[in-house]
Amino acid sequence: MGFYVRPQSLGINSKPLKQDENLRTSICCLCNGGCGLKVSLDQDGKVQAVFGDPDNPYNKGKICAKPMEIVQTLYGPYRVGYPMKKVNDKFERITWDEALELIAQKHNQHIKESGTGSIVGITSKIGGSYSKLAHSIFSELVGMANYGTGPICTDSEVNVRKKIFGNGSSSGPLSDVVRAKILLIVGNNCAQTKVGQFHWILEAKRQGTRVVVIDTRYTETAQVADRFIQIRPGTDGALGMALLKIIIENNLYDQSFIAEHTNGFERLTQAVEPFTLERAADITGIPRNVIEELAQDLASRKPGMLFEGRGIVCVNNAGATIRAFEDLMAILGNVGKPGSGIISHINNHGNIKDLIREKDVVKPDRERSAEALYQAMEEGEIKMVFIAGNPCVNWPDSKRMTKAIQGLDFVVSHTLFLDDSAMLADVILPATHWLEEAGVQSSVHRVLQWKDQVAVIYAEARSGGDLFRQLAEHMGIATSYFPNSPETAWELERTHNKSIEGITMERMRRTPGGVHFPCSENGQEAERLYESGLFSTPSGKVELVENDIAIEYIDMFDSPGNQGVSSEKYPYLLSTNKVASHYHTICQYSNWAWEMEKPYVEIHPQTASEIGVMDGSPIRLETETSSIVLHARVTRTVPRGCLSTQPYFGTRSIYGLLPINSLFPVVADPVGGNLVSKNIMCNAKAEGGQGQ
Amino acid sequence: MISQYAMIVDVSRCIGCNSCIVACKQENGITKGSGWLQVWRKELFRNHLNRYYNPQSCRHCAEPDCVAVCPVGAIHRSEDGLVIHNVERCIGCQVCVATCPHGGMKIMSNGKVGKCSLCNHLLQRGKEPACVSVCPVDARVFGEREVLIREAGLHMTNLISKGISVHLEGAEEKEQTMVLYLVKVVGL
Repeated sequence: MGFYVRPQSLGINSKPLKQDENLRTSICCLCNGGCGLKVSLDQDGKVQAVFGDPDNPYNKGKICAKPMEIVQTLYGPYRVGYPMKKVNDKFERITWDEALELIAQKHNQHIKESGTGSIVGITSKIGGSYSKLAHSIFSELVGMANYGTGPICTDSEVNVRKKIFGNGSSSGPLSDVVRAKILLIVGNNCAQTKVGQFHWILEAKRQGTRVVVIDTRYTETAQVADRFIQIRPGTDGALGMALLKIIIENNLYDQSFIAEHTNGFERLTQAVEPFTLERAADITGIPRNVIEELAQDLASRKPGMLFEGRGIVCVNNAGATIRAFEDLMAILGNVGKPGSGIISHINNHGNIKDLIREKDVVKPDRERSAEALYQAMEEGEIKMVFIAGNPCVNWPDSKRMTKAIQGLDFVVSHTLFLDDSAMLADVILPATHWLEEAGVQSSVHRVLQWKDQVAVIYAEARSGGDLFRQLAEHMGIATSYFPNSPETAWELERTHNKSIEGITMERMRRTPGGVHFPCSENGQEAERLYESGLFSTPSGKVELVENDIAIEYIDMFDSPGNQGVSSEKYPYLLSTNKVASHYHTICQYSNWAWEMEKPYVEIHPQTASEIGVMDGSPIRLETETSSIVLHARVTRTVPRGCLSTQPYFGTRSIYGLLPINSLFPVVADPVGGNLVSKNIMCNAKAEGGQGQ
Repeated sequence: MISQYAMIVDVSRCIGCNSCIVACKQENGITKGSGWLQVWRKELFRNHLNRYYNPQSCRHCAEPDCVAVCPVGAIHRSEDGLVIHNVERCIGCQVCVATCPHGGMKIMSNGKVGKCSLCNHLLQRGKEPACVSVCPVDARVFGEREVLIREAGLHMTNLISKGISVHLEGAEEKEQTMVLYLVKVVGL
């Protein structure tokens, strides 16, 4: 017997990173957490590793897997490097000038023939502050209506909060939780969705903040909470209203705050009247004493904060739920003080004013809701779409969206990756990654942080900032309004927006962690909103009533998407929930993300045995809209009858899987306008082989 | 001799974000499909649901079984207490994988064995292991052994006062390891 060699084993399968003393500082632009990063570059200026920035006061060097996954997505096989044109169903490389000329020509032609309403932008991934500004200038000059992240993520939250407080943004920074006595987390798994900033919540807990989590699933956030209250899906609004009733009836509210700073308290009192403990317990499945105790906790522990998540925003009865919980914070007087308020990843610093002369502004000649967008595309009312994002994966009824986009005359995709939506484009434009573009990034702590360009721009990629200026030029529009660099863009934005006037680039650069906004010209930064007691509503007060209605609770089964659906045919409920290794659809081009998180559907053991599946076996999920197959993960994380999966993945990715959004109908929350991606009635059955 | 430095993995803190796994892969340039660190999701249902995440990697034992069983001497224990695996000597017999009581030896995609180096190259530069520096909930902490054990003791007293039974693995004389685990004792 001699030696034998296994050829495979000759390879070395680990190689430690070389020491890099010259790390560049940046800010992560993925989840609006605003984590500081340190980036290691190779000699060609390409990113080779990403670390957390220990000097950033907010994340203190802690990061999740997502920014590390960037390395693989940036230079992986899916990245788009050159402008391309579709010729006979194949993409051919063209020059930027050719591409811009073609788009400009089509754009002008459609405006002339069918009006400005025939062109829309679906632009959830437009780029950094430079690109966002150029995009908004372009849209104002040509009259392009845009659908950003709002319809699929934030609309209901922003719209309802705007009605109540006058501003859709969070009212307090996350870092305030250490000053709060109680933190109420509703439908939000921030342990997975704000990983790098989650230590604030743990620190608060250590210092005595009571952390209460209300969720349908036993999430990782619930795992660390002082109290986890498991609620029936879609019934959070009833719980909120019952809490309001208890607090009002027992005079536990902040009487002086209500007298001085609110309108409509009487109507609110009437609206919550029917929500007795018995009724709320009946609807939500939460024992009466638990609801009572929570109300007592909220009343006795002040200040308190609220952190809502997509679990109550991307649902078909979102409006009433968001209103109930935010009204609750208002009547407890938990607004505008340190350690109080509403935490959110929505941190708009306001729009520019008076930059474009009135005579140059073009308004889109038609307005449509996000729901109506599909039909307008299908009926040929829309001729051309400018895509910066991946609507064929992250908008509901993906198949319908795909078909609608296929039927258009002209589609442009400004994209990082050759994704499901880019495949449908007539012209593909390569976009820069946020590490390849300087700009300002906001964070969940209500701060703006400046980041320099770190990596060398990949191939011929261009930022939205450059693209829209150059496109305007090709279209024959005056380019004088456009900034020509991220630095000038910020200066322009700052000088045309009172709420950020004092936040210069130099100031952000020299302040670790960035500058809080609003920040006036004289340099006073405000850590939280409404500290003066003046609200941004027309009346200057918190509005507890809108159109004569305080809150109107509508059962999830009587709301859009479930109304009229047969409960015999579709006995279960389907939801999507985010995980730490992915962000929207842009991390799925990384091998690490693929290794960390494979598609699965969470199913309760009893439901699994009802339909005859075991852990790992395939399940066919059906809704009225479509059906797909996923593998079962049998777990008690989800309650019986509820199925839950991740909202990512597309056919043009490592996963090669039809996106779960294919299963959701195109319906919106009637109050806030958010498209729905949770709590939709579905059926589940064993797929193939045994169990059928 | 056990090193004056140690790492504590606090299982009760882990939120299963997998940051440590990816940081380990990045720092050590580990090929696709392999890894030195794993995090297992555990669910127990007795009176109520008890779900936790169980990280698993080499614990750098004071008296490592893997060193004793390796037929080619590919694993040795260094003076500073690290258990070091020499991949070039490794023949991929995987006996150490079967022997290790902590699941610390991993089978790599090339058929050989791989294991945590405690980011020795970073330690030599005075830095902490990659998994420690990213962990967002401080479930992985590196520092002076005595200090860490003292702090873990306080944390344990706190947990025990709340009725949670915990145990620090790797601190006792007989079973000393450089990577200590603070684990919940789940009752029957």
